[in-house]
Amino acid sequence: MRLKDVIVGAVMAGAGIAYLRMAAVLPERDGVDAGTVPTILAWMMIGLGLIELVSALRRPPATQAETRAATSGLVTVGLTLLLIAGFIAALRPLGFPIATAIYLFLQFLVLTPKSASRSVPLYAGLAAVSSVIIFATFRYAFDLLLPAGPLVAWLN
Amino acid sequence: MFDLLIQGFAAVLSLKIFLLMTAGVAVGIVFGAVPGLTAVMAIALCLPMTYGLGPAAGISLLIALFVGATSGGLISAILLKIPGTPSSIATTFDGAPMMEKGEGAKALGAGIVFSFLGTIASIAALAFIAPSLAKVALSFGPHEYFAIAVFSLTLIATLSSGSMAKGVFAGVLGFAVSTVGIAPVDATARFTFGNVELNAGFSILTVLVGMFAVAEVIKVAESARHPVDGGAAPQPVKIKGFGFSMAEFLGQIPNAFRSALIGIGIGILPGIGAGTSNIIAYIAAKKRSKTPEEFGKGTLEGVVASETANNAGIGGAMIPLLTLGIPGDAVTAIMLGGLMIHGIQPGPMLFITQAPLVYTIFAALIVSAVLMLVLEFWGLRIFIKLLAIPKHILLPVILVLCAVGAFGLASRIFDIWTILGFGVLGYAFVKAGIPTAPFIIGFILGPMAETSFRRGLQLSRGDYTGFLTNPISGTFLALAVVSIAWQLWGEYRASRGPVTANPLKLGGEE
Repeated sequence: MRLKDVIVGAVMAGAGIAYLRMAAVLPERDGVDAGTVPTILAWMMIGLGLIELVSALRRPPATQAETRAATSGLVTVGLTLLLIAGFIAALRPLGFPIATAIYLFLQFLVLTPKSASRSVPLYAGLAAVSSVIIFATFRYAFDLLLPAGPLVAWLN
Repeated sequence: MFDLLIQGFAAVLSLKIFLLMTAGVAVGIVFGAVPGLTAVMAIALCLPMTYGLGPAAGISLLIALFVGATSGGLISAILLKIPGTPSSIATTFDGAPMMEKGEGAKALGAGIVFSFLGTIASIAALAFIAPSLAKVALSFGPHEYFAIAVFSLTLIATLSSGSMAKGVFAGVLGFAVSTVGIAPVDATARFTFGNVELNAGFSILTVLVGMFAVAEVIKVAESARHPVDGGAAPQPVKIKGFGFSMAEFLGQIPNAFRSALIGIGIGILPGIGAGTSNIIAYIAAKKRSKTPEEFGKGTLEGVVASETANNAGIGGAMIPLLTLGIPGDAVTAIMLGGLMIHGIQPGPMLFITQAPLVYTIFAALIVSAVLMLVLEFWGLRIFIKLLAIPKHILLPVILVLCAVGAFGLASRIFDIWTILGFGVLGYAFVKAGIPTAPFIIGFILGPMAETSFRRGLQLSRGDYTGFLTNPISGTFLALAVVSIAWQLWGEYRASRGPVTANPLKLGGEE
């Protein structure tokens, strides 16, 4: 039994069940209605999930090396997701230039390989310059009203 | 036809569009050359920039990116031994050994020239096949469109993954995601949870940017702290002339011709694009060669076969896209998104209602091919330097550009959250071993399949057999069954005996 594939199969079938429940509450009409295709798709998802589940039960378990490879780097992934979510949440209150500069600076630090040196002043400069160039290009060249935040009085 | 083509050239060669295309080809080459950056990412990032441009300028820019990114992979394939894109996998087999033997200039020169010739051959095929196919497609009704959508989806789902169940599931899930919003025919609101922002469903751009660009950033984050593919630093290469002699060029013509045919043929089929054609053309060249033992040790034939075939897929992939509105892979899916954003609905009617625009697309393809040839020869040193930009600097900037692109759709922060959501889903797909391409194709073909299915049933008064008795629809549905049966048979054989590599599997992902 390969645990990862069992989980994948179960999630596939679970997604189908959740979709089927949502499709079941759609208003019904005579013949083919808005719920017909989603219902067919949901049953297909459940069936495919079960097929994957059964074949995962037959597969040999993953080796330790495979398990280690699958879980390595998840901390960096988690930090990256948090940073992206924080960046999006900060876009309105801080404005695009400030939120972007902070996000880029922190993301450069998080993604820098352990073997490479982290140059904080260089990263800060790169983050600020990239943020300004992107904002100016889209705001003034493409007329895209990116949120300016507290800098609105100076930038618009 | 020639009048329209001249009109197309006049449009494309206007200063503004020409400059845009030059920049597009250059950016495309960089995205193709840098491992981890893809043609899909390049087009997805630049799509928002085309909003303010007219259809001709916007589409020309996207085509320039497509052509540049398809060819750019050869630079890193030869110089770094890492294929920049899946379309250049086979180029590494002989390109890298040629580089080691001191024949890097010859490999690059041949790769660039035969990429150009492959593109031109495929444009000729597109220009001659597409109008005729469009005429045939004009007689298609909902039954035929439903069957073609199902066939395309099955072919993509079965060919693009190691597990058929996962491939088909990805396609079905993409279809399911496309059902969010107002339903076709009866306009019932589905799965919106009272959220007005979901009434129109998910935008194709947010899905594509999320699944390909954001997911790639998250994927790179996983190995960023402990990179395993540091790769060798690219070595400087000087090319004199084209890098090869006229006798060598003439000797490769039959190989290039065969590889172009393979590239065009495979490009037309949904699901198996340039990522596969380069390997099949390489295998065919080896079988036909007088010196098959030289393959893998650095022979020009290998580079020519791979590079001609992958670029020949460009025109091939555009044939079903323009005539039927069916994208063959993720790159053409995003091209379809680009056309739709500019209010253009690909399909047979396009050749009647917007014929000048169709020929502008043909002209843009030809001009992009020429620009690719010129830029790759003259700008090679610059592209080599760009290969050295570290990913931990490049990818966060790309993520910010993705966010700007999503925001530009409707000036909503909601769309940026959506790309993050689809980015996480794309990353989950990578971890679960589920292919992304069928999801995208399912998302795009889903509405077409559902609308055609419901209209077809209305036409045949609720009789499901109408889909089987109609000759074209019946044939495509039978082909869909054959495709699934073939895959099941392959999986059964694999479970019985030693695993053999299936070259078709390699090209599933963009």
